[in-house]
Amino acid sequence: MRKRPVGFTLVAVYVLLIVLAVIYIFPFLVQVATSFKTEPEAASNPLALIPTTWTTAAYKTLFANSDFPLWFRNSFIVTVVVTLGRVFFNSLAGYALARLQFRGRGVVNALVIAVMAVPGVVLLIPKFLVINQLGIYDSFAGMIIPLLADAAGVFIMKNFFESIPASVEEQARIDGAGTFRTFWSIVLPMATPALMTLVILSFQGSWNELNHFIVSTQSPSLTTLTKGVAQLASGQLSQGTQYPLKLAAAALMTVPVAIVFFIFQRRIMNTTSGAVKG
Amino acid sequence: MFKRSGIRNDTTAGWLFVSPVLVILGLFLFIPVIMAAWVSVSDWSGRGSPFSAGVNFIGAKNFSDLLVGQGLTQQDFGTAMRNNVYYVLLVVPLQTALSLWLAVMVNQAALKGKGFFRTAFYFPSVTSSVAITVLWLFLFSATGVVNKVLSYFSLNGPNWFQDPRGVLHIILQSFGVQPATGGARILGISGWEWFAGPSVAMSAFIIMAIFTTSGTFMLLFLAALQQLDGEVSEAASMDGAGAWSKFWFVTLPMVRPTLFTVITLGLIGTWQVFDQIYTGTQGGPSKTTLTPAYLSYQAAFQDQQWGQGSAIAFILFAIIVVMTIIQRSVSRERDVKPIKAAKKEVGS
Amino acid sequence: MTSITRRHFLGFGGLAVAAVGLSACGGSGFNEPAATGSPDGSGSPTGFETTESKITVLIGSSGAAETKAVTDAVAAWSKDSGVQSQVLPANNLDQQLSQGFASGNPSDVFYLTTEAFGGYAANNSLQPYGDQIDAASFYEALVAAFTVDDVFYAAPKDFSTLALIINKKSWAAAGLTDADVPTTWEEFSTVAEKLTTATQVGLGTSPEYQRLGVWMAQAGGELVTDGKATANSQACVDGLTHIQELLKKGTVKLTTDLGAGWGGEAFGKELCAMTIEGNWIIGALQSDYPSVEYLVAELPAGPSGQGTLQFTNAWGLATDSKNKGASLELIKALTAPEQQMAFAAAFGVMPSVKATGEEWKAKYPEQAAFLAGADYAKNPPAGKGITAVISDLNAKLEGIKTADVKALLDEVQTNLEAALG
Repeated sequence: MRKRPVGFTLVAVYVLLIVLAVIYIFPFLVQVATSFKTEPEAASNPLALIPTTWTTAAYKTLFANSDFPLWFRNSFIVTVVVTLGRVFFNSLAGYALARLQFRGRGVVNALVIAVMAVPGVVLLIPKFLVINQLGIYDSFAGMIIPLLADAAGVFIMKNFFESIPASVEEQARIDGAGTFRTFWSIVLPMATPALMTLVILSFQGSWNELNHFIVSTQSPSLTTLTKGVAQLASGQLSQGTQYPLKLAAAALMTVPVAIVFFIFQRRIMNTTSGAVKG
Repeated sequence: MFKRSGIRNDTTAGWLFVSPVLVILGLFLFIPVIMAAWVSVSDWSGRGSPFSAGVNFIGAKNFSDLLVGQGLTQQDFGTAMRNNVYYVLLVVPLQTALSLWLAVMVNQAALKGKGFFRTAFYFPSVTSSVAITVLWLFLFSATGVVNKVLSYFSLNGPNWFQDPRGVLHIILQSFGVQPATGGARILGISGWEWFAGPSVAMSAFIIMAIFTTSGTFMLLFLAALQQLDGEVSEAASMDGAGAWSKFWFVTLPMVRPTLFTVITLGLIGTWQVFDQIYTGTQGGPSKTTLTPAYLSYQAAFQDQQWGQGSAIAFILFAIIVVMTIIQRSVSRERDVKPIKAAKKEVGS
Repeated sequence: MTSITRRHFLGFGGLAVAAVGLSACGGSGFNEPAATGSPDGSGSPTGFETTESKITVLIGSSGAAETKAVTDAVAAWSKDSGVQSQVLPANNLDQQLSQGFASGNPSDVFYLTTEAFGGYAANNSLQPYGDQIDAASFYEALVAAFTVDDVFYAAPKDFSTLALIINKKSWAAAGLTDADVPTTWEEFSTVAEKLTTATQVGLGTSPEYQRLGVWMAQAGGELVTDGKATANSQACVDGLTHIQELLKKGTVKLTTDLGAGWGGEAFGKELCAMTIEGNWIIGALQSDYPSVEYLVAELPAGPSGQGTLQFTNAWGLATDSKNKGASLELIKALTAPEQQMAFAAAFGVMPSVKATGEEWKAKYPEQAAFLAGADYAKNPPAGKGITAVISDLNAKLEGIKTADVKALLDEVQTNLEAALG
């Protein structure tokens, strides 16, 4: 087998990978193309990447005749606040668990590990009950606060802080800087790579979150993109198939995560591993 | 604020630093679990507080209805379990194998355009399950892309998301096997129904899961492979190992820890199928895409059977915990040797 | 490890205490469920106090036309009464109501489906107000649909029956005339066959009891008769077997196999020449498929005569409403005959009050078949537990083409018996 000319194997590998890459990318191209098609054409000619008759009707309906802009706004608000909150709170806790010596650290550590084992979906009902008891049901507070910290994020930060040498901050503390100042102005800037990972994961996580918003809100003015588009898809808001409209909505909601993905592409390709390992 | 008072005494700062996270996790993770535990053994009807005086303790009734109840409740739960078992059995091995294979492929030193391939394979992972489900509903519709492509091969594609036939049933019946009636029922489902396999509709979701997760897991394998590259594989090439034996005897043992991580994450993820079902099929056709997670939501939020919904959630929780524990203990036993060996080899 | 475990438990204990404290202080937001059947548990004779509180109206709207008509009507009432109000179109009515009841802060007034009615009545989420309105002005069958244990809970909002919708163009193309409109099963089978072409099937209908049940009704079968499960009666088996034969023949197809979401879509896209739907299809055809010309006929008679199903919604009033007095006034305004005629004009429903019958028929002669159906229509069974049985039946009906009808209905019978207790 190894006697086979190198060229042949390589070509075979290329062909195989290119075919696969097409299978992976093609659906998204179809999605964008279909969003510019008319409904009959979407059904009669689903494969074509160039519509015979271009129409922006789907986008017009989304922006002029639906709550789509409102959903987009809500998703944006929640995502930005949650991302900022997670980055701050997770790194605070991660730092404490990695560096600060305090009574009960072991317990906290154990708790955070235990929490990571709780699958999100089983919390649907109880989360609603608690949010409701706290009086933050159907409000931005109820949508945002429960998402502000995540155990996995704490672990990413903890692992990172453990991997950087303690000498720098110890110098700062000897110089008389308080714990928070040491953390804020010395340690945090060094943690940029881990923070970036956290930003990416939090952004993606909260932008794509669905079930938490289902259980924490009911009023249409708080509907997020995921919830709105899911309802659009399941026909709760409309009649008929309306594929161009649905695919336009799905394509638009993918744009922000796609932008974040392409900006941080290099980092994602290199650090997701470290992230998930934690 | 916190003047240096000895490196060993950061109690105040430490607790202050962890308190936001602790409060949030405690409020929205621990307390919910406790409340749900109560609701699952109560007759709370969904009106007012579950802690009010009119709510009674009813013991394990909700659990027994689901597990041994002989009614529609048990049948629905059994159906959901059957559907999810096939989903797990197919998705976990396939996504693991595919992602490992992709990682090995795009990790070849000689390969040009690595960045392009990695991006292409990873991109589906960044999109939300809602957006991807919407896309899938179109691709797999009666007149959709998949059936169009199949028609080029003179194949008549099914109406995917409307087709409740079990894939195993279709295969069995094509060999002339007749539907068996009667027989023992497990969780309210007859043996013949258990052997239905995933429905055609569920198969579309299975393909979707493999499509969206293989990229993420490919990155995990890639990271593991990159750590080991260099000496190990060079040594192997010098030994003159062929590609296949190199993969089998060198690469696979090396990535074993990652392999187990991927399988664990896969098991946890595949038991929590909810978003796709909520967006796409709501359990249909003929309940063949009903999953325990969706059934739990439906029982509580649609039918006001909060106790039953919570009980399903706890059973699901138990399944996931048991799976993880079994998986971990298996991996621990097998891990020790290869890792030591690998380290030696890398170090030498 | 052991010491960690112990401390771990201390942690749990602390949180448990916190949980109890939380429930104690959060509890003020809840009203204790009424202990007895008394309307609001307060013991006051009416319980319908009017307060300053703003009224929210949650509707499960069929589309923009309905949302606008209801919003306008409620706004007009607000202007007259001076009570603030807001109409919320629900994304998912059942879920939003469930969450509202559980949170103790539900919408005051809402669309109440017959399916959900039994459950909401059972846990006192619903404020019965039937004794505050003129029950005799509504059709009796509709009042019966919202009555449990002789308590009339909520005013029927409107109703509809199922009829046969026929594509005029296809009808003419098949050489059929007005005289051919089928009145028996045999005639129906004949026209369905004539209407089936390469691109169009005779009848397209969705696989659910709420459509296919008409065949059972025409054979004289009902799922529940006088409170007893009769799902596997010979009449039910005959009705379902008949439609199964047509499905096997290919002159009838399920909407799921036509790639349509419901009968109206299949009909509008001209995938089928006939469909069985209620009068909601009229508005949908007008807005989405204005070029399709149609004719509404009564469904054919089976071995046991004519039969159809009727559907109705009511205006529910929440027990936890903070302003029941004004809410009741609003409901009275919304069910007034002239308002119902306005809704009929806006989104094609049939008024639930008898007074407007003749006026409606005169105004919509082409839809007379829907109202004619009211004479022989059956209510689909409803009540706590029965909804689950019917949705299970609907799941089974998706495979009706190849199913063993008797075995299918036997299972439904078992489930119904269990649900009826």
